[in-house]
Amino acid sequence: MVVAIGFEGSANKLGIGIVKDGVVLSNPRHTYITPPGQGFLPKDTAKHHREHALSVLKLALEEANIKPEEIDVVCYTKGPGMGAPLVSTALVARTVAQLWNKPIVAVNHCIGHIEMGRLITGAQNPTVLYVSGGNTQVIAYSDKCYRIFGETIDIAVGNCLDRFARVLKLSNDPSPGYNIEQLAKKGRQYLEMPYVVKGMDVSFSGLLSYIEEKAPKLIESNAYTPEDLCFSLQETVFAMLIEITERAMAHCDSNEVLIVGGVGCNKRLQEMMGVMASERGATLYATDERFCIDNGAMIAQAGWEMFRSGVVTPLDQTTCTQRFRTDEVEVTWRS
Amino acid sequence: MDTAISERLSAELRVPFPSAWEAEVAYNSLSVDKEPKRGHVHRDLSLDGNIMQVCFQASEARTLRVSINSFFEHLKLVCETIDQFRPL
Repeated sequence: MVVAIGFEGSANKLGIGIVKDGVVLSNPRHTYITPPGQGFLPKDTAKHHREHALSVLKLALEEANIKPEEIDVVCYTKGPGMGAPLVSTALVARTVAQLWNKPIVAVNHCIGHIEMGRLITGAQNPTVLYVSGGNTQVIAYSDKCYRIFGETIDIAVGNCLDRFARVLKLSNDPSPGYNIEQLAKKGRQYLEMPYVVKGMDVSFSGLLSYIEEKAPKLIESNAYTPEDLCFSLQETVFAMLIEITERAMAHCDSNEVLIVGGVGCNKRLQEMMGVMASERGATLYATDERFCIDNGAMIAQAGWEMFRSGVVTPLDQTTCTQRFRTDEVEVTWRS
Repeated sequence: MDTAISERLSAELRVPFPSAWEAEVAYNSLSVDKEPKRGHVHRDLSLDGNIMQVCFQASEARTLRVSINSFFEHLKLVCETIDQFRPL
């Protein structure tokens, strides 16, 4: 029996979760929500994490009904993500690991998403679409490595959606992407916009500039409603993602596709992916907002896998890094 | 802008803890992260029993202030963590 506690704080979510042999015992989370029209900045986000880390930690232990001495390993997000929030969260992880005399495992955030997705859905060897506010990657496992088949060459798809939400002054509660999704359901008229797939990679920054410039005029002249524009944006960016995912599946001869990351709880994206999967005779695996959106349990789960395969990070090497690619990690826990 | 060490601004802190053990926990947590390269601040942590000594050196007052502020924010978090989650 191995009990792992995971600390996640790479973006605007502070999450701490406890996992015991594949069972999520607790997974509380506190989200830093900024006013409409504003994004979250590293300094303020780090302050949020410092202010909430200890109360969330208390909650995680209480909900799991676990005492510190029952924990076997402390896992934290090493990166990728925003520097200051990562460090604030890691400080708490390092300190409790010493207080409780437990080993530490440094976890790659992207690997956390993949392992949580596999645990919750039961997918064995899926092609993974990892879509969030900071990352956009198509990933497949081969030979001890999660290999990146395609990715964004500029901004993440979630960043594109978040920034368009700021143009429309949509609420960031519970998340800008969720509010775009709700408006998009009422969209009727499709606006054609740049569709940028380059081989296996995608690009969203040109598309964002285009819609940022056009949107105010189109809405003011009543040519398109905000709902129409949310709908059009979603249809365009999701179609791009489905295209590169399908190409990766064809290349790997894969019959499973897993969507992870915050954008992964978008029902329209899941629906479009489901159509593509069924046309290929493949199975779609997706999770809901509890596990798609950044959380502590995903770091605990990936750390649990790593720890059981013999990985431990010495305390003086428990650094954080803003850049940490998915394919840098040796996947010691899979055959 | 390279300035000789002798010309640099510096600040020294002595942080007392209730015991050497707590000082060591805080030292181990706080000494892992290196100062950001862009700030050109040099920070040196050391232990003397239950006292944690911190020495900052910087070429600009602004970067020195930022570094010290950040250190205090981190120190406060670590001390609160020790207080609330120490073994009974």
